[in-house]
Amino acid sequence: MRRAGAPLLAGLVLLAGCGGDGGGDVARIRLVVPDNNIREEGVECAGARPFRQIHRGTPYSILDADGEVVADGELPAGRAENADPSVDWESDRFPTVCVMELEVELPERPRYRLVLPESAPLEFDAALLESDAPVQLVLRG
Amino acid sequence: MTRILPLVLALALACTACAGEDEDVAGGAADLPGPVPEGVEYADPPASAPAAPDFSAELVDGTPVTASDLWADRPVVLVFTASFCDRCAEIHRDVARAVDERDGAIALLGVVGDDDEDAGEYADDLDLGHPVAVAGERVWLSYAAREPSLVALVSRGGKVVRGWPNGIEGEQLAPHLDDLIER
Repeated sequence: MRRAGAPLLAGLVLLAGCGGDGGGDVARIRLVVPDNNIREEGVECAGARPFRQIHRGTPYSILDADGEVVADGELPAGRAENADPSVDWESDRFPTVCVMELEVELPERPRYRLVLPESAPLEFDAALLESDAPVQLVLRG
Repeated sequence: MTRILPLVLALALACTACAGEDEDVAGGAADLPGPVPEGVEYADPPASAPAAPDFSAELVDGTPVTASDLWADRPVVLVFTASFCDRCAEIHRDVARAVDERDGAIALLGVVGDDDEDAGEYADDLDLGHPVAVAGERVWLSYAAREPSLVALVSRGGKVVRGWPNGIEGEQLAPHLDDLIER
């Protein structure tokens, strides 16, 4: 039993090492679609016009400064969030933005660029990934 | 050869049967409503109700459909929906249930965007027994449908009685349907 311990420990160390090499940290990104559509807060949403191309299943890619694709995938469904919490809308339905939350494994690079169809690319700095808060990216119309 | 003939005939018949089944695309022509049931009368919509924007489109199987043809003889519920929206599918299914409980007195037309690549799959997955049309942005905007889902209730004769952006549950829709029916 004592003899088996060393190889087992070595194996665990190796596995832990593999995890570390697997391609960098997981970045949490909040993609905000500022469509100001009237919704109930919290409901499933997709981008309303003029962001109708942004919805669950829309392909995205993340590029580094050299234009190399470092991650890609499909957007998840969004959830409606109050577009302006400083306003008391006095209604169950009020202007909202549609927020999609991504978790993406990114290799270490100084800068990244999120690319979506028919939208201006959204650039963000690696320094933002060091915060506990997710990186917030707001689409432009 | 005489022995093989019945086998060939049986195979041919089986193939014909298969082909017949394939022709009935969910959400297509076979799901257009039949005649209005006998004895059903309809109430007039509120005088203030605006005219419903008419439109022509194709069903998911390519069959042409004109909305005013549907509301010429009975009220129609329009559900603007999308294949990428799970909540819209739930609403569509729930609205279909409320419509089915009215035994053909009300029609239901699903409307998906013309850029929705999975529209056919959506109609097939739901298989509600009601038609699903594929319509462009002009039609969506004419009903102020900026995002799926939007449900609109159109009276017989083509007046928008009410619209529900973000959809409505069948149970809540039911009394609005009954308001339009006088049996």
